[in-house]
Amino acid sequence: MSESNFTTKFLKAFGIDNKGRNRRDPLNIWVPLISVGLALIVGMIVIAASGRNPFRAYALLFGDSGLIPGGAAWRREFAELLIKSAMYIATGLSVALAFKGGLFNIGAEGQFWVGAIVATFFGYWAPVAHTFGAMYVALGSFGWIAQLLHGAICIIMGMLAGGAWAAVAGYLYVKRGVNIVIGTIMLNWIAWFLITSWLAIGPMTPPSQTFTSGTFYVADTAKLLRIMMPTRLNTSILLVLLAAYATWFLLYKTTVGYEIRAIGYTANIGMEAPRAQGINIGRRILQLMFFSGALAALGGSFFILGLQYQFPNTATMGYGWTGIGVALIGQSEPLGVVLAGLFIGALRTGATSMQIANIPKTFSNIIEGMAVGFIALQVAVRYYLVKILQRRRTRTDPPADQEAIA
Amino acid sequence: MKALEVRSISKMFPGNLANDNISFSVEKGEIFAIVGENGAGKSTLMNIIYGIYTPSGGDLLVNENEVKIRSVEDAIKLRMGMVHQEFMLIPRFTVTQNIVIGDEPHKGIFFDYGRAVREVRELSERVSLTVDATALAGDLPVGVQQRVEILKVLRRGAEILIFDEPTAVLTPEETVELFVTMRKLQTEGKTILFISHKLKEVMEIADRIAVLRRGKLQGIVNKKDTTEEELARMMVGRNVVLEIPKVDVEVGPVAFACHDLHVRNKRGYEAVKGMSFDVHGGEVVGIAGVQGNGQDELVNAMIGFSHPVSGSMELNGKNMRMVTTAQLRKEGMSYITEDRARRGLVMPYTIRENAVMGQHLARPFSKGIRMDYDKVGEFAEGKVKEYDIRPGDVYDTAGSLSGGNQQKLILARELSLPHNFLIASQPTRGLDVGATEFVYRKLLEEKKAGKAILLISLELSEILGLSDRILVMFEGRIVGETTPDKTTEEALGLLMLGVGNDKKVQS
Repeated sequence: MSESNFTTKFLKAFGIDNKGRNRRDPLNIWVPLISVGLALIVGMIVIAASGRNPFRAYALLFGDSGLIPGGAAWRREFAELLIKSAMYIATGLSVALAFKGGLFNIGAEGQFWVGAIVATFFGYWAPVAHTFGAMYVALGSFGWIAQLLHGAICIIMGMLAGGAWAAVAGYLYVKRGVNIVIGTIMLNWIAWFLITSWLAIGPMTPPSQTFTSGTFYVADTAKLLRIMMPTRLNTSILLVLLAAYATWFLLYKTTVGYEIRAIGYTANIGMEAPRAQGINIGRRILQLMFFSGALAALGGSFFILGLQYQFPNTATMGYGWTGIGVALIGQSEPLGVVLAGLFIGALRTGATSMQIANIPKTFSNIIEGMAVGFIALQVAVRYYLVKILQRRRTRTDPPADQEAIA
Repeated sequence: MKALEVRSISKMFPGNLANDNISFSVEKGEIFAIVGENGAGKSTLMNIIYGIYTPSGGDLLVNENEVKIRSVEDAIKLRMGMVHQEFMLIPRFTVTQNIVIGDEPHKGIFFDYGRAVREVRELSERVSLTVDATALAGDLPVGVQQRVEILKVLRRGAEILIFDEPTAVLTPEETVELFVTMRKLQTEGKTILFISHKLKEVMEIADRIAVLRRGKLQGIVNKKDTTEEELARMMVGRNVVLEIPKVDVEVGPVAFACHDLHVRNKRGYEAVKGMSFDVHGGEVVGIAGVQGNGQDELVNAMIGFSHPVSGSMELNGKNMRMVTTAQLRKEGMSYITEDRARRGLVMPYTIRENAVMGQHLARPFSKGIRMDYDKVGEFAEGKVKEYDIRPGDVYDTAGSLSGGNQQKLILARELSLPHNFLIASQPTRGLDVGATEFVYRKLLEEKKAGKAILLISLELSEILGLSDRILVMFEGRIVGETTPDKTTEEALGLLMLGVGNDKKVQS
């Protein structure tokens, strides 16, 4: 076998096997593209129906989304796009990974916030913060090592907590038969109210501050490094790309991923085939929920360590919910999730400047919702796509008698 | 008059010509059988006729008029009806609701259930197919469910009835009843297309028989002018040894033993009521019985899907009563299942991914946490050649294979796992002659290699041909033990139905 061949290895890294064939369904790419396209068209109609110029709206939406280089504010917009996208990709990966195992983890939202609050805690908690503070001073010009370590500890602790939070739902499902959708959605609200109605206004707030000021701020050593001054772009986008690669590797290169996909493919027919081969379904589902929750929590730690530096009192829900849409548009494939996350990030970034031009932000939400809606209708989209393709095939290859008539 | 004519129909799937220029015609009031191995193109052809697939080329004529059938609705309008192999009944609906669904009698906007029941009763009387119009479909035995399917098709005015392997799920008695029904329909002038690979049945019921092989029509023969052997030759293209050769192997030590085993089914009802038996190395123990007499529950307990409520179970002398499937596998249990789609294979997985499932954690298929898909691929390539799995591309999904090739893949996987005890649960169910023969050969090889084999089957010829000892199972108990040379199909059949249970006392 020509394993040493560089091209072969390169192709294999992208899931193309050594026979040069990629056996993934090409519709997996076309369905999300067409859904997004349809959503953009419907969005135009809606904007036009409201008496506004859809072309001007889209020019603003995409012009200021950070996707297209150029313009005075491009660097800032690009940075905002990546900061937002990093969080959406993290929650998107979380939902996508669970999907692959046949589980609908609707609890990315709660896991995101659990990750955020735990990262906050390890960011400011004196024993940790002081240690790394002292280390930073002691290391002098190598102080960045202390920053890396402190940031890593905050992120890892956040991910462990988020993973454990998701694993609770997994445990209830495996041991008690509690539906995973119900389990995760309940835990969302438990997490949210534990944090916003207690931790973030009680034990984790400075005593001298007012009721509305949020938690302590994290130490400087815990903050994510900025990588594109003067914008606030930080390392979160790099970390999330690493997480996307890790997710892909887990799914397609490891024994655990092999088992998880086998479970996911048979989830609606009782998972008997993998079970009969001796695969421990319960354990894998628990692990899967843990990984899934950890990914969502990674997004939560970005929110704190890269953006807010404390758990703010103004935090609003939505990152986990958005992750569901991202996973759907990305067809639950890690690369697809990255692209979908960037698309949603762009819409959200551009929406702000659209709003400045007196076009409501809601329109970008409509487009987003439509895209997800069309994806949800993908059975229908696939059906018509196949029909169109078939018709084209018969048209290019007409029967002899029809040719004679023509 | 020709009820249906097929003119040079072809169907191309990517990389596979499923139907290659097939032509035949069916007279009105005829029972026309189409036989062929699994994957020969029978189902594709029927799906074309019934509007599920569009043909790549060729014409269809119904009642001597050229027609285009683009959907099932078109087919129904042309008075065709398909009785599917897997019934499409809603278990929680009554027989009447199931029959009228999609075309319900109504009073204004309300469903007129009373009238529907009357209509169903009239219809069932007219064609003398007895069903209880108000029973829940899910409570009915399989044979009666099929009757409901037939009534549903007749109510839509079908004149051409397509039966897709209708006997696959039936007991021998139910098959006899079905054939009576088919004859009755024939006398009423209905045209019947009967798809099967059971030659005995075809010879019994059909007027003419078309044989397909690898998508091509091999010929059409009159039943009167042919024999089972000739049909088998046409189907597989060579002489098939339907007789199973006797293999004598010295019996080894006990591999599997159970004593007074009690197993509950999913509803908590005791389905296995105290079974005791053992299986030695180099021995095939056959369990004969009519479906639903506790075989499924017994297998579930033996593979660790459910734990027995009481009794003992040992594999190689180790207690295996409360263990997981993984532990049983580790101790040397292999399992061939009849339920290939649910239990045997992960259908969306490729051949190579399926080929190693169960040993994927061992070297060389994985190192630590990493799967080595190159090694997996090499292994699968080897198995595809060894077991002649076709088409032999290891990147094809298991779901794209025909039933026979799926079973070969399962055999390839299970027999390559380290094992000394093999559970073969209806290993030839739904398989054609060629694949069946292959399975028998492999099982006999296993026996020669000194493995202990437990064969659970509904096919008496299989039980008699392969087993060294036969246990007859009836209502969760062993009601008789015998050997193939001391019994006949008839005697076994009686035992299976619970007749002459006192024989147990004698043996």
